[in-house]
Amino acid sequence: MNDGIGRMRLIGAVFVLLSAAIVYQMIRIQNSEHSRQLVELFAKTYNQQVRIILPERGNIYDRWGNLLAGNKEVYEVGIAPPQVVNPETVARDLAAVLEVDYYDTLRKAESYQKEANERYELIKDFVPADKIRQLEQKLAEYEKAEKTKKGNPPSLAGVYWKPHLIRSYPENELAANVLGFYNFLDRWNGRGMLGLEEQYNNLLAGNKQQIVLPLNPTEIQEIPEIPPGASLITSIDRDIQAAMERIIDQAVEANGAESGTLVVMDPKSGEILAMATTPHFNPNEYWRYDEIFPVGSYYNRAISQLYEPGSVFKVLTMAAAIDAGVVQPETPFVDVGAIEVGGIWIYNWDRGAWGPQDMVGCMQHSLNVCLAWVAQELGPSQFYKYLQDFGIGRYTGIDLAGEQVYPLSLPGDSNWYPVNLGTNSFGQGVATTPIQMITAIAAMANEGKMMAPHVVKAYVQDGIQYPVNPRVIRQVVKPETARTITEMLAVSLENEASNALVEGYRVAGKTGTAEIPGPGGYTDMTNASFVGWGPVDDPRFIVYVWLEKPTSSPWGSVVAAPVFSQAVEELVVLMKIPPDEVRQQLASP
Amino acid sequence: MNQRIIQAYRQAPWRVQLQWIGLFLLMLVAGMLIAGVYLYVSGRAAETGARIKALEVEREGLAIRIADMRTQLALLNSSQVMLERAEQLGYRPVEREDLVYLPVAGVTGREVVFLAPPPASVQRENKLLRPAYTQSLWDLFYQTAYQYLNTRGGQGQ
Repeated sequence: MNDGIGRMRLIGAVFVLLSAAIVYQMIRIQNSEHSRQLVELFAKTYNQQVRIILPERGNIYDRWGNLLAGNKEVYEVGIAPPQVVNPETVARDLAAVLEVDYYDTLRKAESYQKEANERYELIKDFVPADKIRQLEQKLAEYEKAEKTKKGNPPSLAGVYWKPHLIRSYPENELAANVLGFYNFLDRWNGRGMLGLEEQYNNLLAGNKQQIVLPLNPTEIQEIPEIPPGASLITSIDRDIQAAMERIIDQAVEANGAESGTLVVMDPKSGEILAMATTPHFNPNEYWRYDEIFPVGSYYNRAISQLYEPGSVFKVLTMAAAIDAGVVQPETPFVDVGAIEVGGIWIYNWDRGAWGPQDMVGCMQHSLNVCLAWVAQELGPSQFYKYLQDFGIGRYTGIDLAGEQVYPLSLPGDSNWYPVNLGTNSFGQGVATTPIQMITAIAAMANEGKMMAPHVVKAYVQDGIQYPVNPRVIRQVVKPETARTITEMLAVSLENEASNALVEGYRVAGKTGTAEIPGPGGYTDMTNASFVGWGPVDDPRFIVYVWLEKPTSSPWGSVVAAPVFSQAVEELVVLMKIPPDEVRQQLASP
Repeated sequence: MNQRIIQAYRQAPWRVQLQWIGLFLLMLVAGMLIAGVYLYVSGRAAETGARIKALEVEREGLAIRIADMRTQLALLNSSQVMLERAEQLGYRPVEREDLVYLPVAGVTGREVVFLAPPPASVQRENKLLRPAYTQSLWDLFYQTAYQYLNTRGGQGQ
């Protein structure tokens, strides 16, 4: 019995000692200096990862949902030198597939063996997906071969690739002047440049976030779902934009012009349906910007290039005079071919005298003398008040980066002279952009209401689509004035049998030819323009055409009016606008 | 004569020792059981965590692929490509004279694209990881007890 108790005591003591030894060892390990340092090092080095998450840049669509700017998958390829098994294979394959330097790649692949380099080595970034498929194919081949071969078989171990997105413009040059571009080669600090990309850069980019992720798998932490940047739905119609770009290209070539601009707007909402300018630019190759746009040239002439608009400006002068009740369409005027304003003689475009006219005739023959007289009748204070109301000398506020403006000289300013009243009345001595002109004149096609021009129709943020509502800038003239001007300009085109007319559709419009000033005064070169809208009884579009320095003919009526006609021919098809006769038949019960 | 009678006896010493040893072994086994459960749960948690990380990487990759596919689709449907394909198929651009307009009741024309619903008053919170994957045992007990008590309280009202 005593022997049994003794053995039990012994076993008990052994267990107790063993347990105590284990506990002691645990406490000792836990509290040793070396252990503490090791844990700290591991926690610092391996226990967490700092990641910067860049949200996907928002897309840009046309009004029907066609993608104009999206994102494309590319890869970053690099080497983890300690994991490289066969540096020669790595260097050879990467050099062949990625077109990188063989010796430089070999040096990096061998850097662990030779220099104990443990750092990740970047080989190439922005590698297209098809190159990665080639590497994957080789990797699969080597893995298959490794099982059968002995020695140091070919291996791509240690080579890593990681996908990321870059900006892509699937339509290439289409609407590039509206879109702008994104300098995607700067992965971490890229930003939108010009156009929509710059204007809405913050919205498109979203919010990048830096997060600290534990690497310990038991410490699960949800990677916050970073929402992509907002997507923009523009008012641009891809098909209309493509047609207008084609038309303006043909016009520039056919007329030997230096550049061309063609803007189509919905006068009732201010939505830009198309904005075509030359030269063209592919934002997928944005690094060629300096080649295409040397210093002093304009990325988007429609909003950035200031010029003297010429006779299209007469629409504003006549509208102001009719709205103020100074003249009526039938007001007579005897054109003697010259008029003195502020001590300077002003002549007609042909230096001729057109005799008895009414206001329709003045607009039809684009008589400078008549319009200078109208401006005098209106008086400087009323004339310039109307011009300011029309937004001349002010930003239109279009949602595209790069809009330019030239201040309007007003009576009392040091650079204003009495003759300005005369010259300004027919669009000389005043500088505007096409977007300013079309915005102002569009009021004639919208019952006198001037709408804010805009390109973004809606945006999608966090899964919700927010509409951008049209904005009225102001009621610049009375509705009856707008209708009168429209009728006058429709009649003047019909009387003149203008090149701008479109069979089956009644349109209103005005030509413009402005001499271009040079160092020693006005030159022989001109800016030829045409502005027109239709159908007259229910305007659905307004088109502004500008050809810079045409060589085939200097006159807007010869070079710009046919471009308007051609544009409208295509517009009525693309916008599904039936001819007037059909439309009226359909409307009548 | 109110007397208390107490039985006077004592466990044999070897019995007391055995009880102590038994108690110690019981505690040891219980401790090992708890440690085993803890290890099992930790192992499962680590495995799940690793799977979640892998899934998150996969999700990121898929998001990139989706964006890429969308752009590839746009490339295939781009204005120029569609024009070329239409010409290859023998189509030509329609002209004004080709068109015939017919009144169709109820047709309002083409509408601007809707890529997402309009603003709504209620927005849902959509978390990917359920709380069960991140809350501690204590959180679970506390939350369950809180919910239980709240439910009981609610029933009593």
